[in-house]
Amino acid sequence: MTVGRAGRWALIIAAVVVVAGLAAAALATRNLLSSKSGGPAQVVNASRDVVARGKYLAEAADCAACHTAPDGAPFAGGLPMATGFGTIYATNITPDPDDGIGRWSAEDFWRALHDGVRRDGQQLYPAMPYTSYRGITRGDADAIYAYVMQLRPMKVANRKTELNFPFNIRLGMLGWNLLFLHDSLRAVSAGSSPAWQRGRYLVNVLGHCGECHTPRGMVGNMELSRALTGFALGRVAAPDITPTGLASRGWTATALRAFLGRGLARQGSAFSDMHPVIMLSTQNLTAEDLNSVATYLLGDSPPPAAPLPAIPPAEIAAAANSAGRISYLALCAGCHGLEGNGVPNTVVAMRSNSTLRLADPRNLIVAMLDGIGAENFPHRQSMPAMPGFSDKLSDGEAAALANYLRVTWGGQKGDVTPAAVRALR
Amino acid sequence: MSVATRPLTVTINGRRHGPIDVPEGMMMIDVLHEMLNLTGSRLGCGQGMCHACVVIWDRDDRTSEEVPSCITGAGFFDGKRIRTIEGIAQRNDKGEIVALSPVQQAFLDQFSFQCGYCTPGFVNAATVLIERLKRAPVPRAQVEATVAAALEKHICRCTGYVRYYQAVRDVILATPGLTRDAA
Repeated sequence: MTVGRAGRWALIIAAVVVVAGLAAAALATRNLLSSKSGGPAQVVNASRDVVARGKYLAEAADCAACHTAPDGAPFAGGLPMATGFGTIYATNITPDPDDGIGRWSAEDFWRALHDGVRRDGQQLYPAMPYTSYRGITRGDADAIYAYVMQLRPMKVANRKTELNFPFNIRLGMLGWNLLFLHDSLRAVSAGSSPAWQRGRYLVNVLGHCGECHTPRGMVGNMELSRALTGFALGRVAAPDITPTGLASRGWTATALRAFLGRGLARQGSAFSDMHPVIMLSTQNLTAEDLNSVATYLLGDSPPPAAPLPAIPPAEIAAAANSAGRISYLALCAGCHGLEGNGVPNTVVAMRSNSTLRLADPRNLIVAMLDGIGAENFPHRQSMPAMPGFSDKLSDGEAAALANYLRVTWGGQKGDVTPAAVRALR
Repeated sequence: MSVATRPLTVTINGRRHGPIDVPEGMMMIDVLHEMLNLTGSRLGCGQGMCHACVVIWDRDDRTSEEVPSCITGAGFFDGKRIRTIEGIAQRNDKGEIVALSPVQQAFLDQFSFQCGYCTPGFVNAATVLIERLKRAPVPRAQVEATVAAALEKHICRCTGYVRYYQAVRDVILATPGLTRDAA
């Protein structure tokens, strides 16, 4: 850990030095920091079609996920985002002239999406995914602008970011952007079809999937050489969604379309941070766009979905009295079933469940300890709550249960240790 | 084809049962109903949502908690002590009921239930709550919120909630040691 921390600080100090130099140079050469405040409230006259297109694009870009606080007014901001560097609050993007973006022009809006710069010239932090939105077309940005500018203005003041030094120096982002802001993000699959191209735009740009699914480096940058290979930004990890990763867990284009459109597939239900993504964003995508997303994620020639390896009967018999199976019968089988098939429309199956098939047991352990809250899904589907079992399973019992599940229905190794469970308590 | 069984030994309402052979995968509520003739626990949703089926698990650390018996396998209770609705009222040596518990009496006095299907779950939940408050009293001002939080997951389709909650609140306020004056 010491090495990691030292390395991190070396990088931070280097970054600050680089940034200071670059900032000075930038100041001297370009008027990057033009300060705009005040000015008239903008009046946007957009056709109904443009506004409707903007609404669709804003949903595809999932603006509401962050710009709407829990129980808050839509797009009025306030959602706290805890990062390793401090807390950042999403801002009010309703057209209120004082608290929102009512004085912003379409150009200002474009600069925020494309360059990560606020109307007043201050740098945004990449909690706002301009690192992905940079690829947005000007036409699409203008349509989203037209849509948000006709929302009801909300008088909800923005909350100040709470970042630690040196990250509280917004100018530092100039250097960060030079290093980490790219015009386009590399493709994660092979393809060239129109659906693949559209999917690349939906996944890499609007959907900004990589902001959670791509590992982050020490200064919060997306490590693009490992794009979409999965990362734990919070307690629940965003899994690997590269073609290889998806296929190894049994995902097909059909299953991906079902999952993104309805939040439910044979491979499991959307939970944790992916649930709002389904509800606010992907369920609104047209069938054509859903197909494009699936096409891009798996590529024009999808790898075959890996079948669950068959377990020799002798091993099944040997596991019959294992501690993991005894815990499964005691705590899980009542809903997930003796054979792990779940209950249609009510309880997800354990057999072939995507979370069990992940090499990293983290999400499985977290689900066992914390449970998963009751959630509604599109088309009036709903899933009841799964209780958490942190007070009923010891570290050893939880590890044995996780291993039983992984081996029996996940095709994974039974290599979860009690220490791995303890670390997640 | 024979059904695989597992031995179960469990203490219910102070009486030790077993070891009995329980079919693998059988839920506790079915063991209570079908094998032990304890039919008071109610099977509602069968998915652990309505909480009509809860039994009280008396843990070794002297705390008690509700466990939904419809989704909890019999094996979970092996070697454990539980109470069911049959064990809440006070009985004499012959096993005859001599007095209802304060919670049961309050539910009757306040006409808390209509069809009564959810009542065993509410009685057990309120009993667990009162036992918790004996260990950790709450300020009097927080009693209503505490009752609501503790009973929230119990569903009553005759909508007896108000009278259930009021009854439990009144028992708590009338029982010394469950509340304290201020925060």
